Amino acid sequence: MLSKQTLKLTIPFILLFTLFILLAWELFYSKPSELPSALIGEEVPAFKLPDLYPSQPPLTQKTLTGQIMLLNVWATWCYACSLEHGMLMKIKNEYHVPIYSIDYKDNSQDALNWLQENGNPYEQTGADTKGDVAIDFGVYGTPETFVINAKGKIIYRHIGAIDQKVWDEVLYPLIRQHGEKK
Amino acid sequence: MKLLFWCISLILLVSTVNVYADNQDPYPFTSSVEADRFHALTREIRCVVCQNQNIADSNAPLANDLRDKVYQMVLAQQSNNEIKDYLVKRYGEFILLQPRFNKSTIALWLFPFVGIVTIFSILLRFMYRRR
Repeated sequence: MLSKQTLKLTIPFILLFTLFILLAWELFYSKPSELPSALIGEEVPAFKLPDLYPSQPPLTQKTLTGQIMLLNVWATWCYACSLEHGMLMKIKNEYHVPIYSIDYKDNSQDALNWLQENGNPYEQTGADTKGDVAIDFGVYGTPETFVINAKGKIIYRHIGAIDQKVWDEVLYPLIRQHGEKK
Repeated sequence: MKLLFWCISLILLVSTVNVYADNQDPYPFTSSVEADRFHALTREIRCVVCQNQNIADSNAPLANDLRDKVYQMVLAQQSNNEIKDYLVKRYGEFILLQPRFNKSTIALWLFPFVGIVTIFSILLRFMYRRR
């Protein structure tokens, strides 16, 4: 049986211990550079971007509805984007999840050449040469990938390159879960 | 010879004046109220890439874009609150260096006051008991 006195003495230690755990959590496990998107659960903002291929119709928010899909923000000058390119090709060819994309602050000709050389994983690509639409999406770095459901709502945002691990553990389960509800 | 020297000096002097003229504020305003508003706003908005800088000080490309956006919105006569709402809707409350008082920040704002009151009450109890 604990006496009142010992209880009183242990409480400060318990408080201190809790504070240390919180501190350790913030120090080692939190990722302050990965900001939560303010747009989760919101509809895709209205936008209109010319297609990277000049003969194609523009990419708008209306394109991004009807099925669960990915919206990838990339650029040819972005090194991490070239790292995830192989994975995007795999998602297109093996998992058959449509990927749309925004080419962020890029030279359109460079982007066309790049897709020509390395393969094009995207259903459609909008050219955001000035970066205005990216601001509407709250983008602050490339690559970023949004998961958009059939109703055209943003359900998730991934910051950084997609690799097999991220796909298996985060994105694909999410897509399967939301895809079934359709 | 001396005349030539003076001529060259004069030309150099005039050219530096020109450089100054070219180097003027990249965000020109017609009214000082708007200019002040712009400068105050850009100091309150966080650069989300380099997180402990505001967008007035940062040279990150995204900070430049956001500064341009704020500039356009100030020129379009939008109020400070409208501009902040626009940014918060896209980037979250975190983009404001001084978070606003609302549902999600209530703990942040009230904690210091609650903390001080709690600590003082504990201290007072202690002191009275000692007597």
